Amino acid sequence: MAKKVVALIKLAIPAGKANPAPPIGPALGQHGVNIMMFCKEYNARTADQAGTIVPVEISVYEDRSFTFVLKTPPASVLIQKAAGIDKGSGEPNKKIVGKITRAQLREIAQTKLPDLNANDVEAAMRIVEGTARNMGVKVSD
Amino acid sequence: MAHSWWEIKVLGDPALEELIFWRLSQFGCRGTASQMQDRSCVVSAYLPQENAQALDLAALALWLRQDALSVTMPPPIAHWSLIDEEDWSSSWKEHWHPLEVGDRLLIYPAWLEVPTDSERLILRLDPGVAFGTGAHATTQLCLESLEMRLGLPGLEQSSATIADIGCGSGILSIAAALLGASQIYALDTDPLAIEATALNRELNGISEKQIHAEVGSLDRAIELAGGPVDGILCNILAEAIEEMVPRFEAISKSTTWGIISGVLLVQAKAMADVLEQNGWLVATLWKRQDWCCFNIRRNG
Repeated sequence: MAKKVVALIKLAIPAGKANPAPPIGPALGQHGVNIMMFCKEYNARTADQAGTIVPVEISVYEDRSFTFVLKTPPASVLIQKAAGIDKGSGEPNKKIVGKITRAQLREIAQTKLPDLNANDVEAAMRIVEGTARNMGVKVSD
Repeated sequence: MAHSWWEIKVLGDPALEELIFWRLSQFGCRGTASQMQDRSCVVSAYLPQENAQALDLAALALWLRQDALSVTMPPPIAHWSLIDEEDWSSSWKEHWHPLEVGDRLLIYPAWLEVPTDSERLILRLDPGVAFGTGAHATTQLCLESLEMRLGLPGLEQSSATIADIGCGSGILSIAAALLGASQIYALDTDPLAIEATALNRELNGISEKQIHAEVGSLDRAIELAGGPVDGILCNILAEAIEEMVPRFEAISKSTTWGIISGVLLVQAKAMADVLEQNGWLVATLWKRQDWCCFNIRRNG
């Protein structure tokens, strides 16, 4: 019989650098997960992606064991990469810090589609475009 | 005094999760945790108390609101409160129980009363925030390998000197001491790991002389040992170990053995190649779950 999942937790954390500090400690500690065990496994599987954020979805079972799957990087990270910028704008309404093409936007949306709460790529593009706008990144046609 | 953190919880439409992550990152939070609650998503993020004032958090709530409105979504609701580090760091310990490993060792949480009727070697442990509780497959494989190297009747190496590179909580160093090693150099680049090793050394009544714990890595172990050691323990991660293997020679003699883990099965072939290219023979390769442990010795 399959084990019952008691919690499904998603963490967006730097690849290869998981440690028991927040957000991992509070998120997993409350479910009795062995935090060090998770950190070691996550770091081993993401060491080759150091320097980026690699989200992970963790299923915690009733016996406090867990499994996890790695997810696609956050849209903001992909937008920064596509725009060639290190950070977004503090004042996105006044200061544009970079731009991406609509084709790049579609590519990011397609990458993110499996992990976004969107039914199709157009809906995913709207979500990603909203993130870009708030980062001060302009989408050009 | 325990360290305190701002815990920021943002409840909103799941479609806003990416935007919320972005805004929290901009605010200085390193990472987020999210969980579904009914049809909404709760994104949690944390910041050391000294890094933000209540006014900053009120401003963050406004930013989050503005972000949502700009994409014509209902604004999320943000709450924040101060939490004590102990609140979460101790919670998982409640579920951590004594654990028998191999034929002789019993890993025993420091906060439990020591049993008097166990025939096993009791290794008391409080991992703190360091790696190594005994529950992980790689730690178990290393402990069982240590038993084979040091603990079998007739094979006791009471004078063995050992370098433990990446000692974490000190679990392997302490096991080596309990199994009879006379001198262990326990090194880790993380000062918190060295604190944990020192604490656990004391818990087990082992002298500072027997387990010398210090911040550092292989280079420091070479300096401290001043010559070859009998055994090398290295349970970290494949990439870090592969970088170190060429320098293992500086601390080795013809009879030196090594216990190498922290290596995923998919990384085993590459690790074996690196070891063999650097004059090491893979005597045994043990597997557990997705992990493996190399027992190595000098080739010729």
